Amino acid sequence: MAGTVESTIKFPYKRSLGPVLGAFMTALTEQRIMGIRSGGRVIVPPLEWDPDTGVELAHDFVDVGPAGTVESWTWVAKPTAQHPLDHPFAFALVKLDGADTALMHAVDAGSIDAMSTGMRVAPRWKAERKGHITDLDAFVPGETPETHEGGGAEEPVTMMDYDATITYRIPTTANQLRSDQASEQGRFLGLKCPICNRTYTGGRGYCPIDAIELGEEHEVDLPQKGVITNYTIITPTPYPGQTATEPFSRVHVWLDGTDVVLGYQTLLDVPNDDVHIGMRVEAVWASEGEKVDKDPRMEGNLIGFLPTGEPDNTDPDLVNRLH
Amino acid sequence: MAHQPCAIVGVGQTHHKTRRWDVSLGGLVREAAQRALDDAEMTWKDIDAVVIGKAPDLFEGVMKPELYLSDALGAAGKPVFRVHTAGSVGGTTGIVAAHHVESGRHKRVLAVAYQKQSEGNAQFALGSGRGFSIGAGGAFAPFMRSYMYRTGAPAEIGPMVAVKDRKNALKNPYAHLKIEDISLEKVMASPMMWDPVRFLESCPSSDGACAVVFTDKEGGEAAAKAGRQPAWILGSAVRSEPSQFPGRDPVAPQGAADCAADVYQQAGITNPLEQIDCAELYVPFSWYEPMWLEGHHIAEFGEGWKMVERGDTEIGGRFPVNMSGGVLSSNPIGASGLLRFSEAALQVRGMAGEHQVEGANVAIAQAYGASAQYFSMWVVANSLDPFGK
Repeated sequence: MAGTVESTIKFPYKRSLGPVLGAFMTALTEQRIMGIRSGGRVIVPPLEWDPDTGVELAHDFVDVGPAGTVESWTWVAKPTAQHPLDHPFAFALVKLDGADTALMHAVDAGSIDAMSTGMRVAPRWKAERKGHITDLDAFVPGETPETHEGGGAEEPVTMMDYDATITYRIPTTANQLRSDQASEQGRFLGLKCPICNRTYTGGRGYCPIDAIELGEEHEVDLPQKGVITNYTIITPTPYPGQTATEPFSRVHVWLDGTDVVLGYQTLLDVPNDDVHIGMRVEAVWASEGEKVDKDPRMEGNLIGFLPTGEPDNTDPDLVNRLH
Repeated sequence: MAHQPCAIVGVGQTHHKTRRWDVSLGGLVREAAQRALDDAEMTWKDIDAVVIGKAPDLFEGVMKPELYLSDALGAAGKPVFRVHTAGSVGGTTGIVAAHHVESGRHKRVLAVAYQKQSEGNAQFALGSGRGFSIGAGGAFAPFMRSYMYRTGAPAEIGPMVAVKDRKNALKNPYAHLKIEDISLEKVMASPMMWDPVRFLESCPSSDGACAVVFTDKEGGEAAAKAGRQPAWILGSAVRSEPSQFPGRDPVAPQGAADCAADVYQQAGITNPLEQIDCAELYVPFSWYEPMWLEGHHIAEFGEGWKMVERGDTEIGGRFPVNMSGGVLSSNPIGASGLLRFSEAALQVRGMAGEHQVEGANVAIAQAYGASAQYFSMWVVANSLDPFGK
């Protein structure tokens, strides 16, 4: 039975706006909507270039609106956290008075029945404005903008924050599922290609050399012990979501009696200065259901490797076993 | 030749910096593209198709940027083609653009590659958004350790490459890192970042873009007649291999060897060291210079580091490498491959300014990506028949 694994990635991106969108965002803080002249047209939001020809435009800005006409719209009955409003609304193409192109934005009409193509709308501004398209909270039916006291940004707006979040659901294959189950039982499961005899880990259901599918009939249990063939010590750099603070090692482990080398594995309880090639190590697993604070890059229930205390393997060619 | 000849008649790039917060994303790519158009004496309307390349969308958080940037690149109503092959993408973007001309489909094609690293964070993106990212440096470090061991190369070889490329960067007005007092001692004393590779042996994070204008034989000959030397593409190839399988050797990948063999064969090169005048190789970490000299059969295995040691790879040496300062001096990741490819073109056009190699008639460029598994290469020359076949 295949299932899915859900994961979420989020990151606070930063956009530099450039001279034209920067001016547009600055105008938003002043509760103004600004376009740019391109030939005989006024383009809103303004662009740095003529969208038809690619030719750079002079910074000939012009205020538009504040009211405009809905050219087309779609009703959002169930808004998500990423939508501009937390209750049902319309996304609409609004052609502001004086503009020749439509701006896409939210219309807060209360009900789908209040929406129609050709309806007149005006902006409702936020009280707190920071130079973002959401400073314009939404358009509302009618001719009268809802404005607030107070001026615009003290400095021209040049940057924009963009907090992105995306959630993936990745299907789990039958092979992956059996590999995960083995991991929960503290076992390494391999898939051995019947043609080239290479062994693959991590539920990879194919041999990339012979281009054949591998399945349950090709499964082999792999040993728990191995030897370090290569390593690196990484100095962590800061980034949103970084949990490492001190230099940490990552080791390549060649499992005994196999052709399997597991790359970039966590080595437990060994100071960075003591990490070396030839060190004998053994896998350490979380018990079923146990929550362990471990490197999120390690697969399944494998926490990492611990030294066995056995004498080092002194084969000088170990360092070349990278895969 | 099975396909139409293709000429490079325009090259442009941005000034590469840690943060290009003075421009929008569209403004950044246009800066490079406009310079390439100016060099080609063309305007936006002269372009038939646009090819866009960049590394993962997670880097800037702009999904399908080829759609977002199409009108910024004057591509309204024109074919747009997106390329993504990890770190090798800039090179592959150039090759795909050339194919659009070589196939006879288009006469004038614009290739643009970029990265605006300051909008996101590469370590974050390469770590799939989780903690303990090993980054590219951590991923390649074991490969470099294996190379050092296998060849017995002295420990200074990597730092020597780092010094040479940063010195070359001082001659390139567009390069990001300008380390005036760069020295072997300074590199050796810099912190160990991804043991065995030091901070100053690693590439920077850059914002930047690169653009190239390609045209057909007629266009290339017209440029030459008007006194604007074109670069002719004598061969191009891409290869890839799976990231890992038992028995794979990531120090000298088969894909790298096959890619080189293919372009040499296309270009009529039987002795790379003698027939090629200079090379731009993708060297984001110092040891990759000797590794690729060997991996692409310019030197025998174990002999590449000796070229570094002898100074052969300096400008003025027997086989100059990374005259532009290379990836070690500027790394807008998605653009880095195209920067290699365009520097090779500048060299054979005789337009490389202070970093020009004297008498450069034939040059190669290379880019690689992901787990040293994607490769793209081309050979360019100042004539279609540089070896007098």
